[in-house]
Amino acid sequence: MDPSEVEFLAEKEFVKIIPNFSLDKIYLIGGDLGPFNPGLSVDVPVWLALNLKQRQKCRILPPEWMDVEKLEEMRELERKEDAFTPAPSPYYMELTKLLLNHASDNIPKADEIRTLVKDIWDTRVAKLRLSADSFIRQQEAHAQLDNLTLMEINTIREFLLDSLNCMYKLRSNLQPGATKGQFGDY
Amino acid sequence: MFIADIKKDFYEVVANQRVALLVAADIDGLCACKILQALFHCDQIQYTLVPVTGWQDLSTAFLEHKEQIKLLIKEDDDLGVPTYDDIFRDEDEEEEGEGSGNESDEGSEPSGKRRRFDEGAIERRIERQRAKRQWEARRREILFDYEQYEYHGTSAAMMFFELAWVLTKDTKDMLWWSIIGLTDQWVHDKIPHMKYVSDIATVQRHVSRHNHRNEDEENSLSIDCMRISFEYDLRLALYHHWSLYESICNSYYTACSFKLWTLKGQKKLQEFLADMGLPLRQVKQKFKSMDVTIKENLRDVIEESSNKYGMKDIRIQTFGVHFGFKNSFLASDMVHAAAALLESTERDENDPTDNFIKALDSLSRSNLDRLLSGIDLAKKKLIAIQQTVASCICTNIILSQGPFLYCYLMEGTPDVKLFSKPLALTLLCKYLLKAFVQSTRNKRCKLLPLIMAAPKDMEKGTVIVVGIPPESETSDKKNFFGRAFEKAAESTSSRTLHDHFDTSIIELKSEDRSKFLDALITLLS
Repeated sequence: MDPSEVEFLAEKEFVKIIPNFSLDKIYLIGGDLGPFNPGLSVDVPVWLALNLKQRQKCRILPPEWMDVEKLEEMRELERKEDAFTPAPSPYYMELTKLLLNHASDNIPKADEIRTLVKDIWDTRVAKLRLSADSFIRQQEAHAQLDNLTLMEINTIREFLLDSLNCMYKLRSNLQPGATKGQFGDY
Repeated sequence: MFIADIKKDFYEVVANQRVALLVAADIDGLCACKILQALFHCDQIQYTLVPVTGWQDLSTAFLEHKEQIKLLIKEDDDLGVPTYDDIFRDEDEEEEGEGSGNESDEGSEPSGKRRRFDEGAIERRIERQRAKRQWEARRREILFDYEQYEYHGTSAAMMFFELAWVLTKDTKDMLWWSIIGLTDQWVHDKIPHMKYVSDIATVQRHVSRHNHRNEDEENSLSIDCMRISFEYDLRLALYHHWSLYESICNSYYTACSFKLWTLKGQKKLQEFLADMGLPLRQVKQKFKSMDVTIKENLRDVIEESSNKYGMKDIRIQTFGVHFGFKNSFLASDMVHAAAALLESTERDENDPTDNFIKALDSLSRSNLDRLLSGIDLAKKKLIAIQQTVASCICTNIILSQGPFLYCYLMEGTPDVKLFSKPLALTLLCKYLLKAFVQSTRNKRCKLLPLIMAAPKDMEKGTVIVVGIPPESETSDKKNFFGRAFEKAAESTSSRTLHDHFDTSIIELKSEDRSKFLDALITLLS
């Protein structure tokens, strides 16, 4: 999966906006949206929020988890625990990037939030690498990791699966009596 | 087309149609174009962008798109438009009403009173005729003034920003573009100082409105957001991106005040720097790497010292923008950079549309490398201008022809290709006139306007001629050379091209140069 595909899936998440135009309820395939009244907040998917923001038709309100104190707590928790703690949101990385790129003037303390989210991401990915490393070293058959987000899984997916494939090929060639001299597709 | 309410009469008419945007090749037009483009993107209006360099281009573009055009938007500076009521008036109705009223009166009243009514009617008619004659005379006067002088009104970029503000779609980007448009008018000397100051005050209101919108102790903005700030900064071109020494040598204000083409002038400059206590090594370094302790009070120190050396207006009110940690630009920096890109003679293809698009791109925040390349080109252009001015003054090729001063740049002059473009040549003209006024002893020559000619196209053998009004403190920047050039060309049947939107810039065949000049001399004396 491409990271841009993951971002595309993240755009389905809902976020609160305050429009400055009025429109009746609209009926889309994915669900109903609206009605839009100027000055009243309404829940819309991120793709629509960003489009309206770029056309200067709305103001985006930061999601609840995008707050400096909450993120600081989560970061501390993440650093203490060995296992993965629940992520701020299943798409926290993508939403942070999208919202801070297009609507940073609507989000207070945007720079600090960016730093905090990056810290959380670094910690989690480091744990993921450690766990993948120990999985391979101890040659386990299966493992279970809770609370991973799609973006993190996507980061390690290709590498982990390819390396497991290679290891399998190497191992199967080491076995005596195995098919002789087959080196696979190198 | 005269418009009273820009939102109703213009934007809403345009909103549901496909628009052709014809933009003149100057920075103010570019900025206005950017603002309109942003507005069109917001409302998803389709548009076609066509850069034009003169009246001929305008007509070709018009003919090309003729089938689809109902309304044209042409952007360049307003050329001093008088009010609507002064020129047009529907007075036919009025006349008829009075006429029929008179007849009915005449018919119904008895004969005794008829004479009095007649007299009353005649008097009224005489009154009306007199009023009409007066009105006609005034109209002729206004039109004559309009067509005789050429001057610039409010910046087009500022007008489109007002439109955006009325639509409440104004952003800091648009505000910055309108500031650049206004500064372009000041840099290229198109508006008088008073107008510049009052326009700055108008813009300052918008800037403070935007700055108060979300600047709070707790909710401070991200560093990436654009911050526009009012600066009472030095009149040294590009000094933040250059070294202080180079900037002083190549800005026309300081170079002319010190007379840096003479040896005495150079010595005076050294004295000036010593007076401020700035070591030469620091001053010749890139400004960004200068010592912080020196940079802190630099503006005040320079202002104090320059007052001693007779430069009273070293500081000028302007605006600067900051975004990210490293990027800060003054409005005049951006004007110089965009102008250099617009008229760059670097490549051989020299496609004007290409340069136009490059200059347009450099105005966006996301194209910083384009802007920085523009700043480099602007530095080269300023150095070239300064050297040309120095050589012109030292070799005395400015001649007084009676009613005006005249200067011709020979083909072999270095960087002469740069001066085949109108904006660059106008800048050169302005600096040259100021330098000449400083260096000449002849009191009469100081009040003369300057006409300058430079080779434009080698194959066609044409020169470009520019005329600017005389140098004075309180000039209202009205330029009468447009009409003068036309009349001189007619009377000598010289082959000229009055193509540029600025009527004081024309193209002329080199062979006709001398008779054209003679005609001008007789015309203006």
